[in-house]
Amino acid sequence: MSQLRIAAVGDVHLGEDLRGRYRSRLSGIEEKADVLLLAGDLTRHGTLEEGEVVAEEFRDLPVPVVAVLGNHDHHSDKPAEIATMLKDAGISVLHDDAVVLDVKGVRLGVVGGKGFGGGFAGKCASEFGEPEIKAFVNHTKRIADRWRVALKELQADRRVVLSHYSPVNDTLAGEPLEIYPFLGSYLLAEAVDSEGADLILHGHAHMGTEKGMTPGGIRVRNVALPVLGRAYGVYCLGEDGEDPDHC
Amino acid sequence: MEAPQYVAARVQSALAEDDRTHELGVRVDVRGDQLFLRGRVGCEERRELIADVAGEAAPGLVVHNEISVVDVREPGGEEKL
Repeated sequence: MSQLRIAAVGDVHLGEDLRGRYRSRLSGIEEKADVLLLAGDLTRHGTLEEGEVVAEEFRDLPVPVVAVLGNHDHHSDKPAEIATMLKDAGISVLHDDAVVLDVKGVRLGVVGGKGFGGGFAGKCASEFGEPEIKAFVNHTKRIADRWRVALKELQADRRVVLSHYSPVNDTLAGEPLEIYPFLGSYLLAEAVDSEGADLILHGHAHMGTEKGMTPGGIRVRNVALPVLGRAYGVYCLGEDGEDPDHC
Repeated sequence: MEAPQYVAARVQSALAEDDRTHELGVRVDVRGDQLFLRGRVGCEERRELIADVAGEAAPGLVVHNEISVVDVREPGGEEKL
């Protein structure tokens, strides 16, 4: 089986003031990667105008593009409209579901969505008390359940989970501890660990750290642009000794 | 005199909620009459807007804009997993 090169970035926060600047960094991406995954917060305010900039910036690339939205992309209450704009530009947009791409004869399955917060094991909110707290926690639980189902049903050779919020606290190192519950939830990692995946990618934590791991041993990468400091990260999936010319 | 913690919280809220900024990742510290802003943003215009909004939310304080603009470098080497 060929090795796959996964390019990924999140939190590009595009707007009219950045139009064209990111696109210039994507030239030649087909020589570095086989697919580009976008980990949410593609806009700053979640307006249709910003959505249009994102669609233009990532349209007609020589590699397939898969995206999830982030909290900023929800701010103007137009996430469905932004997702439609991106789909019209040829970008797959995940909303707690899956897409399977044929890349070099390998079935690459990508599962994911925005994700949500709540905190991490032992230091997290519970579905208890006021309805507002219950709704907050229940939102994450429902997302995690949908990811679990999507992963269970996924028929693919390689499995990548794409999220905006973080599934682990490893990749939040550098962020203030007090805001961890707003940066992610262990429920997301638990769902992925239960069904298995090769890699989890997320954004959201601008001051976090690139590399982490779930309790089940799945590699996690925080690909927020301010963390990477480069246009995108490239992660190579494959067994040792496979197709050594490619990775 | 208002406690500096409340001033910093008000500035942080303004940066998150003001239509001109919507920046959640900026660190705000107040020491005496000095206000410090730290973080990373995508361009110079956004950096300046943050200082404007912070100054409006905390009039009378001297704003030190220590926010840097993210330099999006060319993608580097890949990581083999």
